[in-house]
Amino acid sequence: MSNPQNLKVVKEQQQTGILFSLARVPGESRLFVGASDANIYDLDVMAEKPEPAALSGHESYVTGTVLAGDQLISSAYDGRLMWWDIETRQTIRSVPAHQRWIRELAVTPDGRQVISVADDMVCRVWDAADGSLLHELRGHAPQTPHHFPSMLYTCAVSPDGRFLATGDRVGHNVIWELKTGQSIATVETPTMYTWDPKQRIHSIGGVRSLAFSPDSTYLAVGGIGQIGNIDHLGGPARVEVFDWKKNERTYELADDKFKGLVERLAFHPNSDWLLAAGGDHGGFIQFYDLETGKAIRQEKAPMHVHDLALSPQADEIYAVGHGKIVVWQLAAEAEAAAAAG
Amino acid sequence: MSQELFDRFSSPGVSRRGLLGGMLGGAVAATANLTGLDVLQQPALADTLKRNDRRVILLWLAGGASQLETWDPKPGRPTGGPFRAIQTNVPGVQISELMPKMSQRLQHTAIIRSLNTKIGDHGGGARLMHLGRRDESNLRLPDLGAMLARELSDPRSLAPDYVTYYTATEGRGNAVGQAGFLGSRFAPMFLTTEAQPENLSRLTAITATEDQRRAEMRSLLSQRFAAERQTGAVGSHDEAYARVRNLMAGEKLFDISDEPQAIRDLYGPTLFGKQALVARRLIEAGTPFVKISRAWWDSHGQNFETHLELVTELDNVMAALLDDLKARGLLESTLVVTLSEFGRTPNINASLGRDHFAKAWSTSLTGCGIQGGSVYGKTDPDGHTVADGEIGAAELFATIFEALGIDPQKEYHVGSRPVPLTDIGTLPVTEVLA
Repeated sequence: MSNPQNLKVVKEQQQTGILFSLARVPGESRLFVGASDANIYDLDVMAEKPEPAALSGHESYVTGTVLAGDQLISSAYDGRLMWWDIETRQTIRSVPAHQRWIRELAVTPDGRQVISVADDMVCRVWDAADGSLLHELRGHAPQTPHHFPSMLYTCAVSPDGRFLATGDRVGHNVIWELKTGQSIATVETPTMYTWDPKQRIHSIGGVRSLAFSPDSTYLAVGGIGQIGNIDHLGGPARVEVFDWKKNERTYELADDKFKGLVERLAFHPNSDWLLAAGGDHGGFIQFYDLETGKAIRQEKAPMHVHDLALSPQADEIYAVGHGKIVVWQLAAEAEAAAAAG
Repeated sequence: MSQELFDRFSSPGVSRRGLLGGMLGGAVAATANLTGLDVLQQPALADTLKRNDRRVILLWLAGGASQLETWDPKPGRPTGGPFRAIQTNVPGVQISELMPKMSQRLQHTAIIRSLNTKIGDHGGGARLMHLGRRDESNLRLPDLGAMLARELSDPRSLAPDYVTYYTATEGRGNAVGQAGFLGSRFAPMFLTTEAQPENLSRLTAITATEDQRRAEMRSLLSQRFAAERQTGAVGSHDEAYARVRNLMAGEKLFDISDEPQAIRDLYGPTLFGKQALVARRLIEAGTPFVKISRAWWDSHGQNFETHLELVTELDNVMAALLDDLKARGLLESTLVVTLSEFGRTPNINASLGRDHFAKAWSTSLTGCGIQGGSVYGKTDPDGHTVADGEIGAAELFATIFEALGIDPQKEYHVGSRPVPLTDIGTLPVTEVLA
């Protein structure tokens, strides 16, 4: 049984570079990891001596990796989407998708559509099977109110596949109906954008993670709170949860335990808790009780976490970040041993 | 800027327009009968006047801009970060993709990629890059602006000699602005406002006529006082009043609302852009040295986001400034410098930041006296060390002086002690000089 109190690191794997994204093959410990050297690494992280195999083709940081059937789809700061055969590791297709950095990829639960967000401030919905463009969603301003380029960092699809959320630099979040591509709601999280008009005259922050609750009612938004010294990620890790159809904020989760960006959010499949991970120079992983809105477990991570995959039973977490891959277990040891056979 | 405004602040006989169009009638009797042609027939004086037409705008990137995200990109290397390098209009020279406008104007700019200034703290680094040498315990040194104000200013000009803007509060204490042994005559007009200096306007309770009468009364009393006493202090006192009145009269220099909308749009809506436009107005009116401080670049966290904001702005503002200077025929007599206290580490930390790094970083020199399109020095493939052409702050200063026609070994005297502009034996980087 999954329980944050049982949280335990079961594997910590060094990997050169900055690891921005991962996709896990269901039921296996095989991962596809997007890295700063423009490669995607295919490895079995739980092997005694993992031997990463590189999938090369991108020209900049690989920031998105998702699986759709037996295909891997990746995105990078080079503005391209690439389709890969996961058995042969060969490129199937390469699509010039955005004019600027692609920040994140998401895939619908049925694996039929892939969504990309980029700093051209456009969200695009793609047919995962043939790479054709289905929708182009424009709802984020290209510049901040202070005349600097904005950034469209993150997107998430609801578990029922009906809704899509996107979040940007200034804390503006848009919820879209995936079928029609229509904007149907917005929620604002301005605290996640710090504009310093006096000391340093630039900004920091932004919405870095989004997640829908299992029943798609709630939208969790992750980032960082207001920062005094914007030279560093010195603000409190911050999560806001919205009943987005009512545009009501139900929780504001931030305390002084950890500073830094909340890079990823994941709901327990029964909404028992919400997982948030990220970091500054170090990393963190924390769990919030969705009944009380209180933290129930807050731990340092071995590195700044950039991406994670929560297993369907919520008993394992695979995470990648600055120079490391980490696997946590959430089941009690005896249960984990029994599950392992 | 209007002809009237320009003429008010330019010294008759030596202004750009004066040289071009002959002498204006003026208050300076000694030059009143000179024509531009006469002046140019006297070599020594002509050199002085030629030099006096030279100006400097320093774009001070306070906090430490990253060389990897500006002038010395390392695409594809582990240290390179996510930005690409783009080809410039100079064959074989690439800069960061964050500078697309500058990439098409590099024919006016020299890049130096081999600064090793060794000091990696803000205060120490900023002092070194303002003074060109390390402090001496028994000698208060002048900074670059003061030395250039001393060398380039025309004592008859009504425009301020040395203006510096530093509006952000972070690092302002490190922003050296000192005339040192040159004396307060060359100290900066240090502005922390957005554009217009504070308290420059005549008090609204006093009419212009009353103000003028008060000034005349003060002058009369001062003359009577001076007639009975022959001391330098009296002259200095009078000069201080005169300079204050000049500054008050120069209020419009700082007011960019006079500029056509198209020019204001060119510089953009940010504070940095507005101040760069004021800088152009000042140098056009005869101010020899203007420093615009753009703080704060200290990107220990989120280096790439910070540089996406700040380099994009720098590219726009610098390109606008160069275009504007060129259109006005001022670029060949104006040196535009980008400089920080240091660069940033090639290694990318866990906050996706870069830290302080003084061992191998870059600067740029554009315009007056510069061999445009030249690149001097080289760092190793990952940017950790200088691989070729290492220079320090002294050599950079010598290069700036040389570009402006000033002998870097020229000596001032503090008592009987000779103090050269740059330390003895310092050589300029001739490879970037025209």
